[in-house]
Parts: sequence; C-alpha cells; structure tokens
Amino acid sequence: MDTILETKNLTMRFGGLVAVNNFSLKLGKTDLVGVIGPNGAGKTTIFNMITGIYEPTEGDVLLDGKSLIGDHVALITQNGICRTFQNIRLFKDLTVLDNIRLAGHFRMKYGVLASIFRTKKFHAEEARLKEEAMELLKIFKLESKANHLAKNLPYGEQRRLEIARALATKPKVLLLDEPAAGMNPNETKELTGLIRWVRDHFQIAILLIEHDMKLVMEVCEKIYVVDHGTQIAFGNPSEIQNNPKVVEAYLGVQDEEQK
Amino acid sequence: MSQYIADLALLCGVFIILAVSLNLINGICGQFSLGHAGFWAVGAYSAAAYSVYFAPPILDSLNLLIACGIGFISAALAGVLIGVPCLRLRGDYLAIATLGFGEIIRIFIMNMDSIGGPRGFTGIPKWSNLFWVYLWVVITIVFVVNLLRGTHGRAIISIREDEIAADSMGIYTFKYKTMAFVIGAGFAGVAGALFAHDSQFLHPNGFTFMWSVIILLMIILGGLGSVTGSVIGAVILTILPELLRFFGDTVSEWRMVIYSLLLIILMLWRPGGIFGKHEISLPFFGKKEKA
Repeated sequence: MDTILETKNLTMRFGGLVAVNNFSLKLGKTDLVGVIGPNGAGKTTIFNMITGIYEPTEGDVLLDGKSLIGDHVALITQNGICRTFQNIRLFKDLTVLDNIRLAGHFRMKYGVLASIFRTKKFHAEEARLKEEAMELLKIFKLESKANHLAKNLPYGEQRRLEIARALATKPKVLLLDEPAAGMNPNETKELTGLIRWVRDHFQIAILLIEHDMKLVMEVCEKIYVVDHGTQIAFGNPSEIQNNPKVVEAYLGVQDEEQK
Repeated sequence: MSQYIADLALLCGVFIILAVSLNLINGICGQFSLGHAGFWAVGAYSAAAYSVYFAPPILDSLNLLIACGIGFISAALAGVLIGVPCLRLRGDYLAIATLGFGEIIRIFIMNMDSIGGPRGFTGIPKWSNLFWVYLWVVITIVFVVNLLRGTHGRAIISIREDEIAADSMGIYTFKYKTMAFVIGAGFAGVAGALFAHDSQFLHPNGFTFMWSVIILLMIILGGLGSVTGSVIGAVILTILPELLRFFGDTVSEWRMVIYSLLLIILMLWRPGGIFGKHEISLPFFGKKEKA
C-alpha cells in the first residue's frame, strides 16, 4: 500500500485540556477511511491539525513523506490536501461558478497588471479556468445553476457544491467533515454513492468524519474510532461494530446490577 | 456661478476616487478601515511638496501627472507600513487601529515645519482641472472593475465572504488583504494630489477622522461592495451640503442632522445601501459574462 498521508503521534493540548492524544493514522493513495467518535472526541481537531489551521503540540503530519508542520493553510491546500467544513463555508454571495473558480485561483498564471489591461494571457487563462469549472459543475449536476448565488441553493446542493469546490483544487487527499450533517435519509443515501464515486473517478484518498453510522459503515473501508482524543479502535466496519470498547464509548458501561 | 459648479464637479471627482478606493478595502475586501483620510493626506502633502519644492519648469499637466504618481506611491507605501501590522487584526480591532494610524499621520504632518505644519501648506500651484480629475476617476474605476473581474479580484472578494474558507482553497488571504489595502491607499493618494492642486492650500485639520467617516458614509449610502454605488454615494454626499446651503443658514447648520436622518432612513429602507452589491455596467467596461 502506498501511503499518501500519515500522521505520527499527533497531540494537541489547549492549556490543560488534551484534545487529541497520540493520534497516528495512515492513508493509502485511494483509501476511503472514516474517523468516528462521540461528540467532543477531537475529530475536527485532527482535521484542523492536518490542514494547518492548528499547529499540533506534538507529532507530525506527512504528505507523500514530507512534513507539513508549520506550513500555511493555503500552501497545504496547494500541495494537495483539501477539506470541507462541518458547517458549510461557501462564498455565499458569489455565484456557484465563482465558488469553483476560486478553488483554481492558485493555479492561475497571470499577474494583477494582466487583469487590469486584459492581456491575451488573461483571456486564455480565464477561458481555461471557466472550462474546467463548468466541467466539474456538470459532473456534480450543478451546471444549470452556475450563475445562481451559492446561498440560494438548497441545502443538499450546497453540500455538493462544497465537495465540488474542494475537488477543484485537485487534491490528493480529500477531507470531509460531517458531509451528511443535516441531510435527510434520501440525501444521505445519494451522498453515500457520491463519495464512493468521487474516490473511484478522481482516484484520490478520502478521509471522513461522520456521525451517521449507516453512511460510515457502508462507505468506509477502514475506520478509526476516537474517544477523549485517543484512538480506541481501528479496523474494518464489521470489526468496529463488534468491538466492545466502541460500544462502551458510545453507549457507556453496563451497570453491575443489570448484568 | 458656472465657476462654482465647476469647482463642485471637481470636488465630486475627488470624492468619487476616495469612495471607490475605500470601497475596495471596506466593501469588497471586507476589511473595516477608518483611516482613509490619512492616506488622502499623505498623497496631498507629498504631491504638494513635489510641486512646491522640486517641480521642474515643464508643462503643468506633466507636472501634475508626476505629482499624482508621487501621491499614489507615497500613499501606497504608507498603506504597506500601516497595512502589514494592522491587517492581522479583524473587525472592530482593525477599525480602531486604522483610525489611530489615520490620526497619527495627521499629527505627524502637523509637526512637520517644512510642509507648513499647523500654519498650513501654501503656494501650491493650481494645476488640477476637470479633465485631469475625471481622467483619474475613469482610471480608478476601470482599474478596480477590471481587477474585480479577474482571479485576483475574486480572491479579494472571497476574503470578505469567508476568510477561513479562502485560506483552505489555497488563497494567501493576507497577501490579497494587503493588496486591496495598498491599492485603495494609493488611489486615495491620487485623490489627495488632485485635491491639493485644486484647493492650493492644505491644512492638517482638513484631514481629520471626520473625513474618514464621511467617505465611509458615501460607500455605505451607495452600497458596500458596489463600485456604482460608491460613485453615486460620493456625488450625493458632496452635493447635498451645497444644496442645503441654498435653504439658508439654519438648514446649513443642521446639515449633519440631515445627514444622519438620511442615513437612518436609508438603513431602514435599504440596509444594503442604494445599490447593494449590484452594479450598472456599461459596455465600455467589457461585456457581462454569460455562462
């Protein structure tokens, strides 16, 4: 298995609180892996450390064997890790097309003056960017809404647009932070198919945090279970479902008397 | 009377440049700056210093062009000096810091004897005229509008929309915040240069914090984020106090009250300003995009 993303003993302390403790993870080039755990277990903190929003207190994050510690958030995205957010963070007052185009911004090769004077290079680069963006929108069935403002899309489509926008940065690793949050069962079902399809079509690694167990069990090949910042289990879905530690973390220990 | 109207039109032009440039910082990039009068002052004084002390005896228009260039560059440099430390702050904190720097600039000028200090700077040649002012108005508007329709402009807008998301999309937000701030400051400097060569007299008290607020009122009135709105807002708030003059001294004295009332009514009626974020586009600026 070729490892694309690796975290080594990630630890994050906020003052006296240990949010994440010694978390290690390996992600293969086309793996689809889930991170689950009760609320406040430190899942989003792990994402924030991988994407550079937090600098870990200890430990290392390696992309293709290169450490990302201390890199700017934008640079980490440019190097190939992109994420979506638990509470959707689209550019609400911009059009769907502009949302996608912004993700291609760092690849644009013309300067400010070229855009003021509308040079040939400007037109060529803009045309290329737009074509790529429209192609992506077509894949995500959003092309008819290219000129709508992002805030006017229905909730499910906003989620889809956020995934499309992340993919527009052409990542090697896609991090999805609770993609099914707030979705109804039908939308979740659609999303399940979409996530798997994205992995197969773009041949990238996907790491996802999710509370919807049905989705996680259905879509993930491997699952990490985190509780109180510590990894308590790792394995494929059926192993996780039968792991007493996982059941304990989610449902609590049975009382002596009830036994 | 016609001279009076020409003077007023010229002043309108100066304020259009100021409003459009502040809108780039406040409305389009979303960085709440309250120090615009400071950059205006830097541009005005540096351009005036050039024409009083250094200008060679060449064509007046050419000299004015150089003075405007100097105004742009010096105000943009001030923008870098102030922007780099301040833009790490957000929201209210940024507003307070820029307000402070705006005042520092004014007091700095007040204590520089070579450019008049508290006596005011006199003897500035009258080189500005309607043609040059409105040429710069067009340059400013075309610059900002074209910037916004390219990838760098979109990056600037994305900061207003959601800074964390912009970072996560691979955009160096600090770089683009600084860019918007510096370009905005630079054009305020040009407005200063044009203003100095129109009024022929500069005094530090002509660049107080109140002026930053009035420019801010213009862009809020017109609609934060709309270039068209800034133009309309600047014109309205430049002409309004003059119009009120015709109604006699009492009305003129009450003009700040009328301003405030106007603003309250507008905020109740259209919280996003007259134009909101919309634009009126002319075919001159390039065709509207189809998708």
